[in-house]
Amino acid sequence: MSGPVLSVRGLRKTYRRGLKRVEAVKGISFDIQPGTVTGFLGANGAGKTTTIKCLLNLAFPDAGEIRYFGRPELTSEAKQKIGFLPERPYFYEYLTGAEFLRFYGELSTGLKKRVLDERIEKLLKRVGLGHAKDRQLRGYSKGMLQRVGIAQTLIHEPEFIILDEPKTGLDPDGRYEVAEIIRETAKSGTAVFFSSHLLPDAELLCDRLVILKLGDLIYEGTTEKFLDRAESGVSIVVRRPGDEPEVRTAPDHAAAQAVIDEARKSGREIVEVRTQRLSLEEAFVRVAFDKKEGGAP
Amino acid sequence: MIRPVWIIAKNTYREIIRDRVLYGIVVFALLLIGMSVALGELSFTEQARISANFGFTGIQLSACILAVFAGSSLVSKEIEKQTILTLLARPITRAQFLVGKFTGLSLVILTIMAGLAAVLAVLVAALDLPINGAFAVALYGIVLEALILLGLALLFGSFARPMMTVTFTAALFLIGHWVGTLRFFTEKSESGVFKVIASFLTRVVPDLERFNWRTAPVYQIPVPAHEVLATTVYAAGWIVCLVAATVLVFRKRDFV
Repeated sequence: MSGPVLSVRGLRKTYRRGLKRVEAVKGISFDIQPGTVTGFLGANGAGKTTTIKCLLNLAFPDAGEIRYFGRPELTSEAKQKIGFLPERPYFYEYLTGAEFLRFYGELSTGLKKRVLDERIEKLLKRVGLGHAKDRQLRGYSKGMLQRVGIAQTLIHEPEFIILDEPKTGLDPDGRYEVAEIIRETAKSGTAVFFSSHLLPDAELLCDRLVILKLGDLIYEGTTEKFLDRAESGVSIVVRRPGDEPEVRTAPDHAAAQAVIDEARKSGREIVEVRTQRLSLEEAFVRVAFDKKEGGAP
Repeated sequence: MIRPVWIIAKNTYREIIRDRVLYGIVVFALLLIGMSVALGELSFTEQARISANFGFTGIQLSACILAVFAGSSLVSKEIEKQTILTLLARPITRAQFLVGKFTGLSLVILTIMAGLAAVLAVLVAALDLPINGAFAVALYGIVLEALILLGLALLFGSFARPMMTVTFTAALFLIGHWVGTLRFFTEKSESGVFKVIASFLTRVVPDLERFNWRTAPVYQIPVPAHEVLATTVYAAGWIVCLVAATVLVFRKRDFV
Protein backbone atom coordinates (compact mmCIF):
# COMPACT_ATOMS: atom_id res chain seq x y z
CA MET A 1 0.00 0.00 0.00
CA SER A 2 1.18 3.54 -0.66
CA GLY A 3 -0.71 5.72 1.86
CA PRO A 4 0.08 5.99 5.56
CA VAL A 5 -0.64 2.99 7.77
CA LEU A 6 -1.89 5.41 10.39
CA SER A 7 -3.16 8.93 10.03
CA VAL A 8 -4.11 10.99 13.07
CA ARG A 9 -5.86 14.35 12.78
CA GLY A 10 -6.76 16.66 15.67
CA LEU A 11 -6.66 13.96 18.34
CA ARG A 12 -7.81 15.29 21.67
CA LYS A 13 -8.31 13.46 24.97
CA THR A 14 -9.29 14.78 28.37
CA TYR A 15 -9.39 12.80 31.60
CA ARG A 16 -11.20 13.50 34.80
CA ARG A 17 -8.84 13.26 37.77
CA GLY A 18 -11.03 13.74 40.82
CA LEU A 19 -12.87 16.99 40.18
CA LYS A 20 -10.18 18.27 37.83
CA ARG A 21 -10.17 17.75 34.08
CA VAL A 22 -6.76 17.02 32.63
CA GLU A 23 -6.19 17.59 28.93
CA ALA A 24 -3.74 14.80 28.18
CA VAL A 25 -3.64 15.18 24.38
CA LYS A 26 -4.35 18.57 22.79
CA GLY A 27 -5.37 18.10 19.18
CA ILE A 28 -2.33 16.39 17.68
CA SER A 29 -1.92 15.26 14.06
CA PHE A 30 0.67 12.97 12.51
CA ASP A 31 1.11 10.14 10.00
CA ILE A 32 3.01 6.85 10.07
CA GLN A 33 4.31 5.68 6.71
CA PRO A 34 4.75 2.01 5.76
CA GLY A 35 8.17 0.47 6.43
CA THR A 36 9.42 3.32 8.61
CA VAL A 37 10.57 3.38 12.22
CA THR A 38 8.95 6.31 13.97
CA GLY A 39 9.99 7.32 17.46
CA PHE A 40 7.27 8.76 19.67
CA LEU A 41 9.12 10.95 22.11
CA GLY A 42 8.22 13.07 25.07
CA ALA A 43 8.85 13.37 28.77
CA ASN A 44 6.76 11.41 31.28
CA GLY A 45 3.23 12.80 31.23
CA ALA A 46 3.58 14.19 27.70
CA GLY A 47 0.59 12.11 26.54
CA LYS A 48 2.37 9.31 24.67
CA THR A 49 0.62 6.36 26.33
CA THR A 50 -2.75 8.12 26.20
CA THR A 51 -2.29 8.70 22.47
CA ILE A 52 -1.36 5.05 21.92
CA LYS A 53 -4.42 3.90 23.90
CA CYS A 54 -6.61 6.16 21.76
CA LEU A 55 -5.07 4.68 18.61
CA LEU A 56 -6.12 1.19 19.73
CA ASN A 57 -9.58 2.08 21.10
CA LEU A 58 -8.39 1.29 24.61
CA ALA A 59 -9.38 4.85 25.47
CA PHE A 60 -11.86 6.90 23.48
CA PRO A 61 -10.79 10.31 22.18
CA ASP A 62 -12.94 13.40 22.74
CA ALA A 63 -12.24 14.67 19.24
CA GLY A 64 -10.19 13.93 16.16
CA GLU A 65 -9.97 11.41 13.40
CA ILE A 66 -7.83 8.28 13.25
CA ARG A 67 -7.52 6.39 9.96
CA TYR A 68 -5.97 2.93 9.85
CA PHE A 69 -4.68 1.79 6.46
CA GLY A 70 -6.78 4.51 4.88
CA ARG A 71 -10.01 3.47 6.62
CA PRO A 72 -11.76 5.45 9.32
CA GLU A 73 -12.42 2.61 11.79
CA LEU A 74 -10.35 0.16 13.78
CA THR A 75 -12.09 -2.90 12.38
CA SER A 76 -11.13 -6.52 13.04
CA GLU A 77 -9.41 -6.53 9.63
CA ALA A 78 -7.31 -3.52 10.66
CA LYS A 79 -6.50 -5.10 14.03
CA GLN A 80 -5.22 -8.20 12.22
CA LYS A 81 -2.56 -5.98 10.68
CA ILE A 82 -1.51 -4.34 13.95
CA GLY A 83 0.72 -5.63 16.75
CA PHE A 84 0.90 -3.95 20.14
CA LEU A 85 3.18 -4.15 23.16
CA PRO A 86 2.02 -2.06 26.13
CA GLU A 87 4.24 -0.30 28.62
CA ARG A 88 5.36 -2.52 31.53
CA PRO A 89 3.56 -5.56 30.17
CA TYR A 90 2.33 -8.21 32.57
CA PHE A 91 1.44 -11.38 30.82
CA TYR A 92 -0.39 -14.52 31.84
CA GLU A 93 2.28 -15.95 34.07
CA TYR A 94 0.63 -19.39 34.23
CA LEU A 95 1.24 -19.88 30.48
CA THR A 96 4.47 -21.20 29.00
CA GLY A 97 6.21 -19.10 26.34
CA ALA A 98 4.83 -21.32 23.56
CA GLU A 99 1.28 -21.38 25.03
CA PHE A 100 1.37 -17.61 25.35
CA LEU A 101 2.25 -17.11 21.69
CA ARG A 102 -0.28 -19.73 20.61
CA PHE A 103 -3.01 -17.88 22.53
CA TYR A 104 -2.28 -14.57 20.78
CA GLY A 105 -1.66 -16.32 17.48
CA GLU A 106 -5.05 -18.06 17.62
CA LEU A 107 -6.73 -14.76 18.48
CA SER A 108 -5.21 -12.98 15.51
CA THR A 109 -4.92 -15.57 12.78
CA GLY A 110 -6.91 -18.44 11.39
CA LEU A 111 -3.74 -20.44 10.88
CA LYS A 112 -3.72 -24.20 11.17
CA LYS A 113 -2.14 -25.54 14.35
CA ARG A 114 0.90 -26.95 12.54
CA VAL A 115 1.64 -23.69 10.72
CA LEU A 116 1.16 -21.68 13.91
CA ASP A 117 3.43 -24.05 15.86
CA GLU A 118 6.16 -23.60 13.24
CA ARG A 119 5.78 -19.84 13.42
CA ILE A 120 5.96 -19.92 17.25
CA GLU A 121 9.10 -22.02 17.14
CA LYS A 122 10.73 -19.64 14.64
CA LEU A 123 9.72 -16.51 16.50
CA LEU A 124 10.88 -17.76 19.89
CA LYS A 125 14.27 -18.55 18.36
CA ARG A 126 14.37 -15.09 16.75
CA VAL A 127 13.86 -13.37 20.11
CA GLY A 128 16.35 -15.73 21.78
CA LEU A 129 13.83 -17.70 23.82
CA GLY A 130 13.90 -21.04 22.04
CA HIS A 131 15.31 -22.66 25.18
CA ALA A 132 12.51 -21.31 27.40
CA LYS A 133 9.46 -22.15 25.30
CA ASP A 134 8.09 -24.70 27.78
CA ARG A 135 8.83 -22.61 30.86
CA GLN A 136 5.95 -20.73 32.52
CA LEU A 137 6.22 -16.95 32.16
CA ARG A 138 6.40 -16.60 35.96
CA GLY A 139 9.94 -17.99 35.62
CA TYR A 140 11.00 -15.42 32.98
CA SER A 141 13.28 -12.48 33.74
CA LYS A 142 12.20 -8.93 32.89
CA GLY A 143 14.20 -8.96 29.67
CA MET A 144 12.75 -12.32 28.65
CA LEU A 145 9.23 -11.04 29.29
CA GLN A 146 9.90 -8.01 27.13
CA ARG A 147 11.21 -10.23 24.34
CA VAL A 148 8.28 -12.65 24.51
CA GLY A 149 6.06 -9.55 24.54
CA ILE A 150 7.63 -8.37 21.31
CA ALA A 151 7.19 -11.88 19.89
CA GLN A 152 3.45 -11.66 20.63
CA THR A 153 3.28 -8.42 18.64
CA LEU A 154 4.84 -10.20 15.66
CA ILE A 155 3.07 -13.58 15.82
CA HIS A 156 0.50 -12.62 13.17
CA GLU A 157 3.07 -10.92 10.90
CA PRO A 158 1.51 -7.45 11.20
CA GLU A 159 2.06 -4.55 8.83
CA PHE A 160 2.28 -2.07 11.68
CA ILE A 161 3.50 -2.49 15.26
CA ILE A 162 3.10 -0.13 18.19
CA LEU A 163 5.53 -0.53 21.07
CA ASP A 164 5.04 1.52 24.21
CA GLU A 165 8.39 2.04 25.96
CA PRO A 166 9.77 -1.33 24.76
CA LYS A 167 13.19 -0.80 26.31
CA THR A 168 12.24 0.51 29.73
CA GLY A 169 13.75 -1.45 32.57
CA LEU A 170 16.09 -3.45 30.35
CA ASP A 171 19.83 -3.74 30.82
CA PRO A 172 22.14 -2.68 27.95
CA ASP A 173 22.16 -6.20 26.47
CA GLY A 174 18.39 -6.34 26.55
CA ARG A 175 18.12 -2.88 24.96
CA TYR A 176 20.48 -3.92 22.21
CA GLU A 177 18.49 -7.08 21.51
CA VAL A 178 15.20 -5.16 21.38
CA ALA A 179 16.79 -2.60 19.04
CA GLU A 180 17.95 -5.41 16.77
CA ILE A 181 14.45 -6.90 16.65
CA ILE A 182 12.96 -3.48 15.82
CA ARG A 183 15.55 -2.98 13.07
CA GLU A 184 14.92 -6.43 11.55
CA THR A 185 11.16 -5.97 11.76
CA ALA A 186 11.35 -2.64 9.94
CA LYS A 187 13.64 -4.20 7.33
CA SER A 188 10.93 -6.74 6.55
CA GLY A 189 8.58 -3.86 5.64
CA THR A 190 6.62 -3.49 8.87
CA ALA A 191 6.03 0.06 10.08
CA VAL A 192 7.24 0.48 13.66
CA PHE A 193 5.92 3.18 15.98
CA PHE A 194 7.57 3.12 19.37
CA SER A 195 7.42 5.45 22.30
CA SER A 196 10.53 6.01 24.31
CA HIS A 197 12.31 8.40 26.56
CA LEU A 198 15.64 6.70 25.85
CA LEU A 199 16.76 9.18 23.24
CA PRO A 200 20.13 7.71 22.22
CA ASP A 201 18.30 4.52 21.18
CA ALA A 202 15.69 6.49 19.26
CA GLU A 203 18.44 8.42 17.47
CA LEU A 204 19.98 5.19 16.21
CA LEU A 205 16.72 3.53 15.19
CA CYS A 206 14.26 6.13 13.98
CA ASP A 207 13.70 7.47 10.47
CA ARG A 208 11.06 9.83 11.77
CA LEU A 209 10.10 11.42 15.06
CA VAL A 210 6.85 12.52 16.61
CA ILE A 211 7.54 14.62 19.70
CA LEU A 212 5.01 15.62 22.33
CA LYS A 213 5.26 18.12 25.12
CA LEU A 214 2.47 18.29 27.70
CA GLY A 215 -0.03 16.96 25.19
CA ASP A 216 1.03 19.26 22.33
CA LEU A 217 2.83 18.11 19.21
CA ILE A 218 6.11 19.99 19.02
CA TYR A 219 7.70 18.14 16.12
CA GLU A 220 6.79 15.69 13.39
CA GLY A 221 9.28 14.90 10.67
CA THR A 222 12.54 13.14 9.92
CA THR A 223 15.15 12.57 12.59
CA GLU A 224 17.73 14.20 10.31
CA LYS A 225 15.74 17.39 9.93
CA PHE A 226 15.13 17.57 13.66
CA LEU A 227 18.84 17.32 14.37
CA ASP A 228 19.57 19.93 11.68
CA ARG A 229 17.12 22.29 13.35
CA ALA A 230 19.03 21.91 16.55
CA GLU A 231 22.50 22.70 15.19
CA SER A 232 24.45 24.34 17.96
CA GLY A 233 26.76 26.41 15.72
CA VAL A 234 29.92 26.18 13.69
CA SER A 235 33.46 25.65 14.96
CA ILE A 236 36.36 27.01 12.88
CA VAL A 237 39.95 25.95 13.49
CA VAL A 238 42.45 28.56 12.22
CA ARG A 239 46.25 28.77 12.41
CA ARG A 240 48.85 31.44 11.85
CA PRO A 241 51.84 29.82 10.05
CA GLY A 242 54.19 28.38 12.70
CA ASP A 243 51.68 28.83 15.57
CA GLU A 244 49.36 26.40 17.42
CA PRO A 245 45.85 26.09 15.95
CA GLU A 246 43.09 28.23 17.51
CA VAL A 247 39.42 27.23 17.72
CA ARG A 248 36.79 29.89 17.02
CA THR A 249 33.05 29.42 17.17
CA ALA A 250 30.15 31.08 15.41
CA PRO A 251 26.41 30.72 16.17
CA ASP A 252 25.42 30.13 12.52
CA HIS A 253 26.80 29.80 9.00
CA ALA A 254 26.66 33.54 8.21
CA ALA A 255 28.63 34.38 11.32
CA ALA A 256 31.05 31.57 10.49
CA GLN A 257 31.68 33.10 7.05
CA ALA A 258 32.53 36.40 8.73
CA VAL A 259 34.99 34.62 11.06
CA ILE A 260 36.61 32.86 8.08
CA ASP A 261 36.91 36.15 6.08
CA GLU A 262 38.43 37.90 9.07
CA ALA A 263 40.94 35.05 9.63
CA ARG A 264 42.03 35.11 5.98
CA LYS A 265 42.49 38.86 6.05
CA SER A 266 44.73 38.50 9.07
CA GLY A 267 46.88 35.91 7.28
CA ARG A 268 45.61 32.85 9.15
CA GLU A 269 44.91 29.64 7.32
CA ILE A 270 41.65 27.74 7.79
CA VAL A 271 42.36 24.25 9.12
CA GLU A 272 38.82 22.96 9.71
CA VAL A 273 35.25 24.17 9.58
CA ARG A 274 32.73 21.91 11.31
CA THR A 275 29.05 22.21 11.99
CA GLN A 276 28.51 21.28 15.62
CA ARG A 277 25.59 18.87 15.88
CA LEU A 278 23.75 18.01 19.02
CA SER A 279 22.80 14.51 19.98
CA LEU A 280 19.09 13.77 19.85
CA GLU A 281 19.04 14.02 23.62
CA GLU A 282 20.57 17.52 23.58
CA ALA A 283 18.36 18.57 20.70
CA PHE A 284 15.28 17.22 22.42
CA VAL A 285 16.08 19.05 25.64
CA ARG A 286 16.69 22.25 23.70
CA VAL A 287 13.40 22.01 21.79
CA ALA A 288 11.40 20.77 24.74
CA PHE A 289 12.47 23.63 26.96
CA ASP A 290 12.57 26.37 24.33
CA LYS A 291 9.12 27.90 24.11
CA LYS A 292 10.07 29.85 21.01
CA GLU A 293 10.49 26.57 19.12
CA GLY A 294 7.12 25.20 20.28
CA GLY A 295 4.55 24.18 17.69
CA ALA A 296 4.76 21.77 14.85
CA PRO A 297 6.96 22.93 11.97
CA MET B 1 -17.84 -14.47 16.07
CA ILE B 2 -17.69 -17.61 18.24
CA ARG B 3 -14.00 -18.43 17.71
CA PRO B 4 -12.52 -15.53 19.74
CA VAL B 5 -15.04 -16.25 22.53
CA TRP B 6 -13.92 -19.87 22.62
CA ILE B 7 -10.21 -18.90 22.64
CA ILE B 8 -10.74 -16.50 25.56
CA ALA B 9 -12.88 -19.12 27.34
CA LYS B 10 -10.15 -21.77 26.95
CA ASN B 11 -7.54 -19.41 28.34
CA THR B 12 -9.76 -18.39 31.27
CA TYR B 13 -10.42 -22.07 32.01
CA ARG B 14 -6.69 -22.80 31.96
CA GLU B 15 -5.98 -19.77 34.17
CA ILE B 16 -8.42 -20.81 36.90
CA ILE B 17 -7.64 -24.52 36.73
CA ARG B 18 -3.94 -23.68 37.25
CA ASP B 19 -4.73 -21.40 40.22
CA ARG B 20 -4.04 -22.95 43.62
CA VAL B 21 -6.94 -21.02 45.18
CA LEU B 22 -9.31 -23.30 43.26
CA TYR B 23 -7.97 -26.33 45.05
CA GLY B 24 -8.68 -24.66 48.40
CA ILE B 25 -12.33 -24.46 47.37
CA VAL B 26 -12.30 -28.11 46.24
CA VAL B 27 -10.80 -29.22 49.57
CA PHE B 28 -13.43 -27.12 51.38
CA ALA B 29 -16.18 -28.85 49.40
CA LEU B 30 -14.74 -32.31 50.03
CA LEU B 31 -14.56 -31.54 53.74
CA LEU B 32 -18.21 -30.47 53.73
CA ILE B 33 -19.23 -33.65 51.92
CA GLY B 34 -17.10 -35.68 54.34
CA MET B 35 -18.70 -33.87 57.28
CA SER B 36 -22.11 -34.77 55.93
CA VAL B 37 -21.36 -38.43 56.78
CA ALA B 38 -20.44 -37.49 60.34
CA LEU B 39 -23.55 -35.32 60.70
CA GLY B 40 -25.72 -38.13 59.40
CA GLU B 41 -24.44 -40.29 62.23
CA LEU B 42 -26.21 -37.95 64.67
CA SER B 43 -29.59 -39.28 63.52
CA PHE B 44 -30.65 -42.88 63.95
CA THR B 45 -33.37 -42.92 61.27
CA GLU B 46 -32.54 -40.04 58.92
CA GLN B 47 -28.81 -40.66 58.40
CA ALA B 48 -28.99 -40.97 54.62
CA ARG B 49 -31.21 -37.92 54.18
CA ILE B 50 -29.15 -35.68 56.46
CA SER B 51 -25.91 -36.74 54.76
CA ALA B 52 -27.29 -36.23 51.25
CA ASN B 53 -28.84 -32.87 52.14
CA PHE B 54 -25.63 -31.63 53.69
CA GLY B 55 -23.64 -32.98 50.75
CA PHE B 56 -25.77 -31.02 48.25
CA THR B 57 -25.43 -27.91 50.41
CA GLY B 58 -21.66 -28.39 50.40
CA ILE B 59 -21.63 -28.52 46.59
CA GLN B 60 -23.94 -25.50 46.36
CA LEU B 61 -21.74 -23.43 48.69
CA SER B 62 -18.55 -24.40 46.83
CA ALA B 63 -20.04 -23.59 43.42
CA CYS B 64 -21.36 -20.24 44.67
CA ILE B 65 -18.08 -19.35 46.41
CA LEU B 66 -16.21 -20.20 43.22
CA ALA B 67 -18.59 -18.11 41.09
CA VAL B 68 -18.45 -15.11 43.43
CA PHE B 69 -14.74 -15.06 44.24
CA ALA B 70 -13.30 -16.09 40.88
CA GLY B 71 -15.99 -14.04 39.09
CA SER B 72 -15.19 -10.91 41.09
CA SER B 73 -11.61 -10.79 39.82
CA LEU B 74 -12.33 -12.17 36.35
CA VAL B 75 -12.22 -8.77 34.64
CA SER B 76 -10.55 -6.62 37.29
CA LYS B 77 -7.41 -8.80 37.25
CA GLU B 78 -7.09 -8.30 33.49
CA ILE B 79 -7.41 -4.55 33.96
CA GLU B 80 -5.11 -4.36 36.97
CA LYS B 81 -2.38 -6.42 35.29
CA GLN B 82 -3.02 -4.63 31.98
CA THR B 83 -3.31 -7.93 30.11
CA ILE B 84 -6.58 -6.56 28.76
CA LEU B 85 -4.61 -4.03 26.67
CA THR B 86 -2.93 -6.68 24.54
CA LEU B 87 -6.18 -8.66 24.31
CA LEU B 88 -8.42 -5.83 23.14
CA ALA B 89 -5.79 -4.71 20.65
CA ARG B 90 -6.43 -8.06 18.92
CA PRO B 91 -9.34 -8.68 16.56
CA ILE B 92 -11.89 -9.25 19.33
CA THR B 93 -14.69 -7.06 20.61
CA ARG B 94 -15.23 -6.16 24.24
CA ALA B 95 -18.46 -8.20 24.21
CA GLN B 96 -16.58 -11.27 22.92
CA PHE B 97 -13.98 -10.78 25.65
CA LEU B 98 -16.66 -10.67 28.38
CA VAL B 99 -18.65 -13.61 27.04
CA GLY B 100 -15.39 -15.58 26.72
CA LYS B 101 -14.45 -14.84 30.34
CA PHE B 102 -17.96 -15.82 31.48
CA THR B 103 -17.89 -19.04 29.46
CA GLY B 104 -14.43 -20.00 30.74
CA LEU B 105 -15.39 -19.68 34.39
CA SER B 106 -18.72 -21.43 33.72
CA LEU B 107 -16.76 -24.39 32.34
CA VAL B 108 -14.60 -24.45 35.48
CA ILE B 109 -17.74 -24.46 37.64
CA LEU B 110 -19.15 -27.34 35.57
CA THR B 111 -15.89 -29.29 35.85
CA ILE B 112 -15.64 -28.85 39.63
CA MET B 113 -19.33 -29.64 40.03
CA ALA B 114 -18.96 -32.81 37.97
CA GLY B 115 -16.09 -33.98 40.19
CA LEU B 116 -17.92 -33.16 43.42
CA ALA B 117 -21.14 -34.70 42.10
CA ALA B 118 -19.26 -37.95 41.43
CA VAL B 119 -18.00 -37.97 45.04
CA LEU B 120 -21.51 -37.25 46.33
CA ALA B 121 -22.97 -39.94 44.09
CA VAL B 122 -20.65 -42.53 45.64
CA LEU B 123 -21.71 -41.34 49.10
CA VAL B 124 -25.41 -41.34 48.24
CA ALA B 125 -25.14 -44.83 46.74
CA ALA B 126 -23.34 -46.05 49.87
CA LEU B 127 -26.26 -44.71 51.93
CA ASP B 128 -28.76 -46.68 49.78
CA LEU B 129 -30.39 -43.59 48.29
CA PRO B 130 -31.23 -43.89 44.57
CA ILE B 131 -29.28 -41.85 42.04
CA ASN B 132 -31.95 -40.78 39.58
CA GLY B 133 -33.34 -37.79 37.72
CA ALA B 134 -34.01 -35.89 40.95
CA PHE B 135 -30.32 -36.16 41.84
CA ALA B 136 -29.36 -34.64 38.46
CA VAL B 137 -32.05 -31.93 38.72
CA ALA B 138 -30.77 -30.90 42.16
CA LEU B 139 -27.27 -30.47 40.73
CA TYR B 140 -28.66 -28.65 37.69
CA GLY B 141 -30.37 -26.13 39.99
CA ILE B 142 -27.04 -25.49 41.72
CA VAL B 143 -25.36 -24.88 38.34
CA LEU B 144 -28.05 -22.35 37.31
CA GLU B 145 -27.75 -20.51 40.62
CA ALA B 146 -23.94 -20.39 40.35
CA LEU B 147 -24.17 -19.02 36.79
CA ILE B 148 -26.51 -16.22 37.89
CA LEU B 149 -24.11 -15.34 40.71
CA LEU B 150 -21.28 -15.39 38.18
CA GLY B 151 -23.26 -12.98 35.98
CA LEU B 152 -23.75 -10.66 38.97
CA ALA B 153 -20.04 -10.85 39.88
CA LEU B 154 -19.09 -10.13 36.27
CA LEU B 155 -21.37 -7.07 36.18
CA PHE B 156 -20.14 -5.63 39.49
CA GLY B 157 -16.55 -6.57 38.65
CA SER B 158 -16.71 -4.47 35.48
CA PHE B 159 -16.84 -1.24 37.52
CA ALA B 160 -16.08 -2.06 41.19
CA ARG B 161 -13.06 -3.37 43.05
CA PRO B 162 -12.99 -7.12 43.82
CA MET B 163 -13.83 -6.70 47.53
CA MET B 164 -16.83 -4.51 46.70
CA THR B 165 -17.86 -6.98 44.01
CA VAL B 166 -17.75 -9.87 46.49
CA THR B 167 -19.76 -7.82 49.01
CA PHE B 168 -22.43 -6.80 46.47
CA THR B 169 -22.75 -10.30 45.04
CA ALA B 170 -22.84 -11.98 48.47
CA ALA B 171 -25.53 -9.51 49.55
CA LEU B 172 -27.60 -10.34 46.49
CA PHE B 173 -27.05 -14.05 47.15
CA LEU B 174 -28.61 -13.63 50.61
CA ILE B 175 -31.44 -11.38 49.41
CA GLY B 176 -31.99 -13.73 46.46
CA HIS B 177 -32.72 -16.59 48.83
CA TRP B 178 -35.20 -14.43 50.77
CA VAL B 179 -37.12 -13.09 47.79
CA GLY B 180 -40.03 -15.49 48.42
CA THR B 181 -40.21 -14.52 52.09
CA LEU B 182 -39.87 -10.86 51.17
CA ARG B 183 -42.74 -11.19 48.70
CA PHE B 184 -44.89 -12.79 51.42
CA PHE B 185 -44.18 -9.96 53.87
CA THR B 186 -44.76 -7.36 51.18
CA GLU B 187 -48.28 -8.69 50.72
CA LYS B 188 -48.93 -8.75 54.48
CA SER B 189 -47.21 -5.49 55.44
CA GLU B 190 -49.20 -2.33 56.06
CA SER B 191 -46.13 -0.04 55.83
CA GLY B 192 -46.11 1.83 52.53
CA VAL B 193 -42.34 2.43 52.58
CA PHE B 194 -41.60 -1.24 53.27
CA LYS B 195 -43.97 -2.26 50.47
CA VAL B 196 -42.19 0.03 47.97
CA ILE B 197 -38.67 -1.08 48.94
CA ALA B 198 -39.51 -4.77 49.25
CA SER B 199 -41.47 -4.96 46.00
CA PHE B 200 -38.60 -3.15 44.23
CA LEU B 201 -36.12 -5.70 45.61
CA THR B 202 -38.27 -8.67 44.64
CA ARG B 203 -38.30 -7.35 41.06
CA VAL B 204 -34.60 -6.49 40.66
CA VAL B 205 -33.07 -9.39 42.57
CA PRO B 206 -33.15 -12.93 41.13
CA ASP B 207 -35.20 -15.39 43.16
CA LEU B 208 -32.48 -17.93 43.94
CA GLU B 209 -34.79 -20.22 45.93
CA ARG B 210 -36.37 -21.21 42.60
CA PHE B 211 -33.23 -23.26 41.94
CA ASN B 212 -33.38 -25.11 45.24
CA TRP B 213 -34.29 -28.65 44.23
CA ARG B 214 -31.93 -30.17 46.77
CA THR B 215 -34.69 -31.77 48.82
CA ALA B 216 -36.04 -33.59 45.75
CA PRO B 217 -33.45 -36.43 45.73
CA VAL B 218 -33.39 -36.55 49.53
CA TYR B 219 -37.15 -37.06 49.89
CA GLN B 220 -37.62 -38.60 46.43
CA ILE B 221 -40.00 -35.88 45.27
CA PRO B 222 -40.08 -35.68 41.47
CA VAL B 223 -39.57 -32.22 39.94
CA PRO B 224 -42.01 -31.60 37.07
CA ALA B 225 -40.32 -31.06 33.69
CA HIS B 226 -42.27 -27.83 33.06
CA GLU B 227 -40.88 -26.41 36.31
CA VAL B 228 -37.32 -27.26 35.27
CA LEU B 229 -37.95 -25.71 31.85
CA ALA B 230 -39.52 -22.52 33.26
CA THR B 231 -36.67 -22.14 35.75
CA THR B 232 -34.12 -22.66 32.98
CA VAL B 233 -35.75 -19.88 30.94
CA TYR B 234 -35.81 -17.68 34.07
CA ALA B 235 -32.07 -18.31 34.68
CA ALA B 236 -31.18 -17.80 31.01
CA GLY B 237 -33.08 -14.49 31.03
CA TRP B 238 -31.15 -13.28 34.06
CA ILE B 239 -27.80 -14.42 32.65
CA VAL B 240 -28.41 -12.74 29.28
CA CYS B 241 -29.52 -9.50 31.00
CA LEU B 242 -26.52 -9.49 33.35
CA VAL B 243 -23.96 -10.17 30.61
CA ALA B 244 -25.65 -7.58 28.34
CA ALA B 245 -25.56 -5.01 31.16
CA THR B 246 -21.86 -5.77 31.70
CA VAL B 247 -21.20 -5.27 27.99
CA LEU B 248 -23.00 -1.90 28.15
CA VAL B 249 -20.95 -0.78 31.17
CA PHE B 250 -17.75 -2.01 29.56
CA ARG B 251 -18.39 -0.78 26.03
CA LYS B 252 -17.04 2.75 26.36
CA ARG B 253 -14.73 2.29 29.31
CA ASP B 254 -11.28 3.91 29.05
CA PHE B 255 -8.38 1.79 30.24
CA VAL B 256 -6.12 4.45 31.70
